[in-house]
Amino acid sequence: MAQTELEPTPLHDAGPDDAHIVHGHADTNTGATNTKLAMWVFLSSECIFFGAFISTYLLYRGRAPANTPQPKDVYNIPFTSVTSFMLLMSSLTMVLALAAIQRGDHRRFRIWTMSTALFGAIFIAGQIYEFTEFYREGLALKTSVFGSSFFVLTGIHGAHVTVGIIWLLTLWGMSMQNRLGVQHSEKIEVAGLYWHFVDIVWIVIFTVIYLIP
Amino acid sequence: MSDETSIATPDDPALLPGTAAERAAEDAEGMSVISSDELAMLPGELRPHPSPFQYVMIAVILCVITALEVGTYYLPNDFPRALYITILMVLALTKFVIVAAFFMHLRFDRPLFRRFFVTGAIGAILLYTIVLATLHVFE
Repeated sequence: MAQTELEPTPLHDAGPDDAHIVHGHADTNTGATNTKLAMWVFLSSECIFFGAFISTYLLYRGRAPANTPQPKDVYNIPFTSVTSFMLLMSSLTMVLALAAIQRGDHRRFRIWTMSTALFGAIFIAGQIYEFTEFYREGLALKTSVFGSSFFVLTGIHGAHVTVGIIWLLTLWGMSMQNRLGVQHSEKIEVAGLYWHFVDIVWIVIFTVIYLIP
Repeated sequence: MSDETSIATPDDPALLPGTAAERAAEDAEGMSVISSDELAMLPGELRPHPSPFQYVMIAVILCVITALEVGTYYLPNDFPRALYITILMVLALTKFVIVAAFFMHLRFDRPLFRRFFVTGAIGAILLYTIVLATLHVFE
Protein backbone atom coordinates (compact mmCIF):
# COMPACT_ATOMS: atom_id res chain seq x y z
CA MET A 1 0.00 0.00 0.00
CA ALA A 2 1.44 3.34 -1.00
CA GLN A 3 2.19 5.63 1.88
CA THR A 4 0.87 9.10 1.57
CA GLU A 5 2.59 12.00 3.18
CA LEU A 6 0.51 14.73 4.68
CA GLU A 7 1.25 18.17 3.35
CA PRO A 8 1.69 20.75 6.08
CA THR A 9 -1.49 22.71 6.54
CA PRO A 10 -1.43 26.45 5.91
CA LEU A 11 -0.46 28.53 8.90
CA HIS A 12 -3.64 30.03 10.31
CA ASP A 13 -1.70 32.65 12.15
CA ALA A 14 0.37 33.62 9.11
CA GLY A 15 1.02 37.33 8.93
CA PRO A 16 2.67 39.70 6.46
CA ASP A 17 6.14 38.93 7.82
CA ASP A 18 6.02 35.22 7.09
CA ALA A 19 8.08 35.68 3.94
CA HIS A 20 11.04 36.55 6.15
CA ILE A 21 10.75 33.53 8.41
CA VAL A 22 13.55 31.10 7.88
CA HIS A 23 14.53 29.56 11.15
CA GLY A 24 11.43 30.85 12.94
CA HIS A 25 9.17 28.18 11.44
CA ALA A 26 8.86 24.76 12.97
CA ASP A 27 7.61 21.77 11.06
CA THR A 28 4.25 21.67 12.83
CA ASN A 29 0.73 22.76 11.95
CA THR A 30 0.99 25.81 14.18
CA GLY A 31 4.46 26.84 13.04
CA ALA A 32 5.63 26.63 16.63
CA THR A 33 7.38 23.76 18.29
CA ASN A 34 5.42 21.54 20.63
CA THR A 35 7.84 22.37 23.43
CA LYS A 36 7.18 26.08 23.28
CA LEU A 37 3.45 25.59 22.85
CA ALA A 38 3.35 23.23 25.81
CA MET A 39 5.14 25.77 27.99
CA TRP A 40 2.62 28.47 27.09
CA VAL A 41 -0.27 26.13 27.85
CA PHE A 42 1.39 25.27 31.16
CA LEU A 43 1.85 28.98 32.00
CA SER A 44 -1.79 29.56 31.17
CA SER A 45 -2.74 26.90 33.71
CA GLU A 46 -0.33 28.41 36.22
CA CYS A 47 -2.29 31.68 35.99
CA ILE A 48 -5.30 29.84 37.34
CA PHE A 49 -3.14 27.99 39.87
CA PHE A 50 -1.70 31.12 41.41
CA GLY A 51 -5.02 32.93 41.03
CA ALA A 52 -6.50 30.42 43.46
CA PHE A 53 -3.95 31.20 46.17
CA ILE A 54 -4.08 34.96 45.63
CA SER A 55 -7.85 34.99 45.83
CA THR A 56 -7.70 32.84 48.98
CA TYR A 57 -5.45 35.44 50.56
CA LEU A 58 -7.86 38.19 49.52
CA LEU A 59 -10.74 36.19 50.94
CA TYR A 60 -9.09 35.93 54.35
CA ARG A 61 -7.69 39.46 54.35
CA GLY A 62 -8.72 41.32 57.48
CA ARG A 63 -10.26 38.22 59.07
CA ALA A 64 -7.36 37.22 61.28
CA PRO A 65 -8.05 37.45 65.04
CA ALA A 66 -7.05 40.80 66.50
CA ASN A 67 -4.68 39.19 69.00
CA THR A 68 -2.55 37.67 66.19
CA PRO A 69 0.05 39.48 64.05
CA GLN A 70 -1.50 41.59 61.30
CA PRO A 71 0.09 42.47 57.94
CA LYS A 72 0.99 45.99 59.02
CA ASP A 73 2.77 44.53 62.06
CA VAL A 74 5.08 42.22 60.13
CA TYR A 75 5.56 43.50 56.59
CA ASN A 76 8.89 45.20 55.84
CA ILE A 77 8.18 47.00 52.59
CA PRO A 78 11.69 48.42 52.02
CA PHE A 79 13.23 44.96 52.42
CA THR A 80 10.65 43.30 50.15
CA SER A 81 11.14 46.08 47.60
CA VAL A 82 14.82 45.18 47.37
CA THR A 83 14.11 41.48 46.85
CA SER A 84 11.48 42.38 44.26
CA PHE A 85 14.08 44.48 42.47
CA MET A 86 16.43 41.46 42.49
CA LEU A 87 13.81 39.29 40.83
CA LEU A 88 13.14 42.00 38.27
CA MET A 89 16.83 42.21 37.41
CA SER A 90 16.93 38.43 37.07
CA SER A 91 14.39 38.75 34.26
CA LEU A 92 16.78 41.12 32.48
CA THR A 93 19.75 38.79 32.88
CA MET A 94 17.62 35.87 31.67
CA VAL A 95 16.70 37.63 28.46
CA LEU A 96 20.33 38.72 27.97
CA ALA A 97 21.36 35.07 28.36
CA LEU A 98 18.95 34.11 25.59
CA ALA A 99 20.31 36.86 23.35
CA ALA A 100 23.84 35.65 24.08
CA ILE A 101 23.19 32.01 23.17
CA GLN A 102 21.48 33.15 19.98
CA ARG A 103 24.65 35.01 19.00
CA GLY A 104 26.76 31.99 19.85
CA ASP A 105 28.40 33.92 22.70
CA HIS A 106 28.71 31.06 25.17
CA ARG A 107 30.86 32.98 27.64
CA ARG A 108 28.26 35.69 28.09
CA PHE A 109 25.49 33.09 28.12
CA ARG A 110 27.12 31.40 31.10
CA ILE A 111 27.65 34.74 32.85
CA TRP A 112 24.05 35.88 32.39
CA THR A 113 22.60 32.47 33.25
CA MET A 114 24.60 32.28 36.45
CA SER A 115 23.62 35.89 37.24
CA THR A 116 19.98 34.98 36.82
CA ALA A 117 20.34 32.02 39.15
CA LEU A 118 22.24 34.20 41.62
CA PHE A 119 19.57 36.90 41.65
CA GLY A 120 16.95 34.20 42.12
CA ALA A 121 18.94 32.73 45.00
CA ILE A 122 19.19 36.16 46.62
CA PHE A 123 15.43 36.51 46.30
CA ILE A 124 14.91 33.12 47.94
CA ALA A 125 17.34 34.03 50.70
CA GLY A 126 15.34 37.19 51.28
CA GLN A 127 12.15 35.17 51.46
CA ILE A 128 13.66 32.77 53.97
CA TYR A 129 14.86 35.68 56.08
CA GLU A 130 11.40 37.25 55.89
CA PHE A 131 9.71 33.99 56.89
CA THR A 132 11.98 33.55 59.90
CA GLU A 133 11.38 37.14 60.96
CA PHE A 134 7.62 36.67 60.70
CA TYR A 135 7.87 33.47 62.74
CA ARG A 136 9.92 35.30 65.35
CA GLU A 137 7.18 37.93 65.56
CA GLY A 138 4.59 35.26 66.21
CA LEU A 139 3.20 34.59 62.74
CA ALA A 140 3.30 30.93 61.73
CA LEU A 141 1.43 28.76 59.29
CA LYS A 142 -1.12 27.78 61.94
CA THR A 143 -1.36 31.11 63.75
CA SER A 144 -4.23 32.54 61.76
CA VAL A 145 -5.86 32.54 58.33
CA PHE A 146 -3.53 35.42 57.42
CA GLY A 147 -0.50 33.30 58.32
CA SER A 148 -1.64 30.22 56.45
CA SER A 149 -2.75 32.03 53.30
CA PHE A 150 0.38 34.20 53.22
CA PHE A 151 2.88 31.40 53.79
CA VAL A 152 1.18 29.02 51.35
CA LEU A 153 1.05 31.65 48.61
CA THR A 154 4.58 32.97 48.98
CA GLY A 155 5.94 29.51 49.79
CA ILE A 156 4.57 28.02 46.59
CA HIS A 157 5.94 30.97 44.64
CA GLY A 158 9.30 30.42 46.32
CA ALA A 159 9.18 26.75 45.36
CA HIS A 160 8.63 27.78 41.74
CA VAL A 161 11.61 30.12 41.91
CA THR A 162 13.73 27.31 43.38
CA VAL A 163 12.77 24.96 40.55
CA GLY A 164 13.74 27.73 38.13
CA ILE A 165 17.13 28.13 39.80
CA ILE A 166 17.81 24.39 39.51
CA TRP A 167 16.77 24.55 35.86
CA LEU A 168 19.13 27.45 35.18
CA LEU A 169 22.03 25.78 36.94
CA THR A 170 21.40 22.68 34.84
CA LEU A 171 21.57 24.74 31.66
CA TRP A 172 24.73 26.41 32.91
CA GLY A 173 26.29 23.02 33.56
CA MET A 174 25.31 21.81 30.11
CA SER A 175 26.91 24.90 28.59
CA MET A 176 30.11 24.30 30.56
CA GLN A 177 30.20 20.81 29.03
CA ASN A 178 29.74 22.37 25.58
CA ARG A 179 26.42 20.61 25.19
CA LEU A 180 24.48 23.75 24.28
CA GLY A 181 24.85 25.40 20.91
CA VAL A 182 23.05 28.10 18.99
CA GLN A 183 20.66 25.46 17.69
CA HIS A 184 19.52 24.85 21.26
CA SER A 185 18.35 28.42 21.80
CA GLU A 186 14.79 27.27 22.17
CA LYS A 187 15.68 25.32 25.29
CA ILE A 188 16.88 28.57 26.82
CA GLU A 189 13.83 30.43 25.60
CA VAL A 190 11.48 27.91 27.22
CA ALA A 191 13.39 28.19 30.50
CA GLY A 192 13.18 31.95 30.14
CA LEU A 193 9.43 31.84 29.66
CA TYR A 194 9.09 29.96 32.96
CA TRP A 195 11.40 32.39 34.74
CA HIS A 196 9.64 35.51 33.44
CA PHE A 197 6.30 34.05 34.49
CA VAL A 198 7.61 33.56 38.01
CA ASP A 199 8.62 37.23 37.96
CA ILE A 200 5.21 38.25 36.66
CA VAL A 201 3.49 36.37 39.47
CA TRP A 202 5.67 38.19 42.00
CA ILE A 203 4.71 41.52 40.43
CA VAL A 204 1.09 40.65 41.22
CA ILE A 205 1.86 39.27 44.69
CA PHE A 206 3.99 42.26 45.69
CA THR A 207 1.27 44.70 44.67
CA VAL A 208 -1.79 42.87 45.95
CA ILE A 209 -0.35 41.33 49.11
CA TYR A 210 2.27 43.80 50.30
CA LEU A 211 1.41 47.24 48.94
CA ILE A 212 -2.39 47.27 49.19
CA PRO A 213 -3.23 47.66 52.88
CA MET B 1 14.37 10.01 22.07
CA SER B 2 17.74 10.81 20.56
CA ASP B 3 20.32 12.18 22.91
CA GLU B 4 21.43 15.15 20.89
CA THR B 5 23.41 16.67 23.72
CA SER B 6 25.53 13.70 24.72
CA ILE B 7 28.61 15.00 22.93
CA ALA B 8 30.21 18.39 22.62
CA THR B 9 27.91 20.43 20.42
CA PRO B 10 29.46 22.89 18.02
CA ASP B 11 27.32 25.83 17.01
CA ASP B 12 25.38 25.38 13.81
CA PRO B 13 27.24 27.80 11.50
CA ALA B 14 24.04 28.54 9.60
CA LEU B 15 22.52 30.01 12.75
CA LEU B 16 25.44 32.18 13.85
CA PRO B 17 24.64 35.83 13.12
CA GLY B 18 26.80 38.37 11.35
CA THR B 19 30.19 37.78 9.78
CA ALA B 20 33.23 36.37 11.54
CA ALA B 21 34.68 39.89 11.68
CA GLU B 22 31.54 41.25 13.32
CA ARG B 23 31.54 38.46 15.89
CA ALA B 24 35.20 39.10 16.64
CA ALA B 25 34.49 42.83 17.03
CA GLU B 26 31.67 42.05 19.40
CA ASP B 27 33.96 39.94 21.54
CA ALA B 28 36.67 42.60 21.53
CA GLU B 29 34.51 45.60 22.26
CA GLY B 30 32.08 43.87 24.58
CA MET B 31 29.15 45.50 22.82
CA SER B 32 26.55 44.09 20.55
CA VAL B 33 27.55 45.22 17.06
CA ILE B 34 25.39 42.60 15.46
CA SER B 35 21.87 43.83 14.79
CA SER B 36 19.10 41.82 16.37
CA ASP B 37 17.60 41.51 12.88
CA GLU B 38 20.46 39.19 12.00
CA LEU B 39 19.79 36.79 14.84
CA ALA B 40 18.17 33.55 13.83
CA MET B 41 14.56 33.77 14.85
CA LEU B 42 13.35 31.25 17.34
CA PRO B 43 10.56 28.86 16.36
CA GLY B 44 7.26 30.68 16.56
CA GLU B 45 8.67 34.19 16.14
CA LEU B 46 7.30 36.47 13.44
CA ARG B 47 9.59 39.47 14.01
CA PRO B 48 13.08 39.90 15.41
CA HIS B 49 13.09 40.53 19.13
CA PRO B 50 14.74 43.50 20.86
CA SER B 51 18.48 43.97 21.08
CA PRO B 52 20.32 43.64 24.42
CA PHE B 53 20.46 47.44 24.69
CA GLN B 54 16.70 47.65 24.26
CA TYR B 55 16.25 44.98 26.92
CA VAL B 56 18.30 47.08 29.32
CA MET B 57 16.18 50.15 28.55
CA ILE B 58 13.02 48.13 29.21
CA ALA B 59 14.48 46.99 32.53
CA VAL B 60 15.17 50.63 33.46
CA ILE B 61 11.53 51.46 32.76
CA LEU B 62 10.45 48.54 34.94
CA CYS B 63 12.68 49.80 37.76
CA VAL B 64 11.15 53.26 37.52
CA ILE B 65 7.65 51.81 37.69
CA THR B 66 8.67 49.70 40.69
CA ALA B 67 10.03 52.80 42.40
CA LEU B 68 6.73 54.59 41.75
CA GLU B 69 4.84 51.65 43.22
CA VAL B 70 6.90 51.67 46.38
CA GLY B 71 6.57 55.45 46.51
CA THR B 72 2.79 55.24 46.54
CA TYR B 73 3.04 53.12 49.68
CA TYR B 74 4.34 56.18 51.51
CA LEU B 75 1.49 58.48 50.48
CA PRO B 76 -0.31 60.12 53.42
CA ASN B 77 -3.01 58.12 55.17
CA ASP B 78 -5.72 60.52 54.07
CA PHE B 79 -5.03 59.77 50.40
CA PRO B 80 -8.21 58.30 48.85
CA ARG B 81 -8.01 54.53 49.11
CA ALA B 82 -9.81 53.88 45.81
CA LEU B 83 -7.37 56.13 43.94
CA TYR B 84 -4.42 54.53 45.73
CA ILE B 85 -5.51 51.02 44.71
CA THR B 86 -6.21 52.20 41.16
CA ILE B 87 -2.72 53.69 40.82
CA LEU B 88 -1.10 50.51 42.14
CA MET B 89 -3.15 48.28 39.86
CA VAL B 90 -2.32 50.39 36.81
CA LEU B 91 1.39 50.31 37.62
CA ALA B 92 1.34 46.55 38.28
CA LEU B 93 -0.59 45.90 35.08
CA THR B 94 1.88 48.02 33.11
CA LYS B 95 4.81 46.00 34.46
CA PHE B 96 2.93 42.77 33.77
CA VAL B 97 2.28 43.73 30.15
CA ILE B 98 5.84 44.97 29.56
CA VAL B 99 7.41 41.76 30.87
CA ALA B 100 4.96 39.58 28.93
CA ALA B 101 5.26 41.56 25.71
CA PHE B 102 9.01 42.15 25.57
CA PHE B 103 10.79 39.70 27.87
CA MET B 104 8.48 36.78 27.06
CA HIS B 105 8.44 37.84 23.38
CA LEU B 106 4.66 37.79 23.10
CA ARG B 107 4.87 40.92 20.97
CA PHE B 108 7.12 39.19 18.48
CA ASP B 109 5.71 35.68 18.52
CA ARG B 110 2.77 34.10 16.84
CA PRO B 111 -0.64 35.25 18.14
CA LEU B 112 -1.35 31.68 19.20
CA PHE B 113 0.87 32.03 22.27
CA ARG B 114 -0.74 35.32 23.20
CA ARG B 115 -4.18 33.76 22.94
CA PHE B 116 -3.26 30.91 25.26
CA PHE B 117 -1.69 33.14 27.88
CA VAL B 118 -4.34 35.85 27.80
CA THR B 119 -7.08 33.22 28.02
CA GLY B 120 -5.51 31.81 31.15
CA ALA B 121 -4.85 35.19 32.74
CA ILE B 122 -8.23 36.73 31.98
CA GLY B 123 -9.98 33.47 32.79
CA ALA B 124 -8.30 33.39 36.19
CA ILE B 125 -9.18 37.04 36.91
CA LEU B 126 -12.81 36.55 35.91
CA LEU B 127 -13.19 33.27 37.75
CA TYR B 128 -11.78 34.48 41.02
CA THR B 129 -13.50 37.86 40.83
CA ILE B 130 -16.79 36.00 40.59
CA VAL B 131 -15.83 33.70 43.48
CA LEU B 132 -14.77 36.59 45.69
CA ALA B 133 -17.85 38.61 44.81
CA THR B 134 -20.01 35.61 45.68
CA LEU B 135 -18.33 35.47 49.07
CA HIS B 136 -18.95 39.23 49.59
CA VAL B 137 -15.26 40.15 49.78
CA PHE B 138 -15.76 43.42 47.91
CA GLU B 139 -18.52 44.72 50.21
